[in-house]
Amino acid sequence: MDQSEVDALLKSSGGKTKKGGSKPASAPATAKAPAASEAVAPPAPVAQTAPPPATGEVKADPEGQVIREIDAVTEVTERETNKVMDQLDLIGDLVARQQALITEILANPGSQDPSIHQAINQVMGAAKEIQGKVFEAMDLLQFQDITRQKLERIVYHLRQIHDYIVDLLGTGLKNEKPAPSISRTIVQTGTTPDERKAHADSVVEAFRMGAQGKG
Amino acid sequence: MKILIVDDSSTMRRIIINTLTRIGYGEVVEAEHGKAGLEKLGQGGVEMIITDWNMPEMDGLEFVNAVRAQNPSIPILMVTTNAAKEDIVAALQAGVNNYVVKPFTPETLKEKIESLLG
Repeated sequence: MDQSEVDALLKSSGGKTKKGGSKPASAPATAKAPAASEAVAPPAPVAQTAPPPATGEVKADPEGQVIREIDAVTEVTERETNKVMDQLDLIGDLVARQQALITEILANPGSQDPSIHQAINQVMGAAKEIQGKVFEAMDLLQFQDITRQKLERIVYHLRQIHDYIVDLLGTGLKNEKPAPSISRTIVQTGTTPDERKAHADSVVEAFRMGAQGKG
Repeated sequence: MKILIVDDSSTMRRIIINTLTRIGYGEVVEAEHGKAGLEKLGQGGVEMIITDWNMPEMDGLEFVNAVRAQNPSIPILMVTTNAAKEDIVAALQAGVNNYVVKPFTPETLKEKIESLLG
């Protein structure tokens, strides 16, 4: 996320963050009841919710700001993850080029000295290891899709709450979009590959056995 | 061997394509949801399908049902976060040939693809 996006996100949050980004030095870390002996100044009013922006048109908002912000987060993380993948692709290409050069060097009669040959082979081995790590890093980026789906589930529930409140109050606009298809088990989904492979394989196997039995 | 990948996540499509390229299946076509997948399938030449489940427009289960209505034999591998037993069974009943739960390792994807292609 670049600075312009950070600024846009802060702006869209309606000024919920304090100027300067930190609490006043006198602010307590946690809320607690003041002791009776303490001289208590009348508490300053605390804004629990951000006021609407002073400028700008106020529109009926069937989506809700929080939902839009979460949607924006998923878009940004997908885009940024793809940028990481671009870099990994580039590293992979560079390593492949290095390997091709090493193969050329190995074909040169001057490289046939055993010590040189051994050193070149070690460089080749290291290049293969880098390539493997690049692929491993790419595979680990699956976490982005998992996280996106977890956020989509949160958005789904927020939309339901939003529509429920609209029904209850009889005011506002309900979301007209069709309910998206979301994973029921995404909450339990981790980021470690193949956590549930054995489970899925056993269900597939049982289904096949059942199908054969019926056949 | 042309493989159709249907997934709304561009990151996930790239990961699958990378894995396929590494294991020797470099010819792929991509679609971001079931509807687009059906269009790509209609263009011909696809010999295997890898599809996600949760997608906008047309989800993976609807897509599999639509594919099976016109092509009962093309191998379909579902790759999804849906891990509930009833989801896996529903996918198999719709006509999916095998099932991979995300996140997966390249070895798992390779094993499933090779088992489908015999």
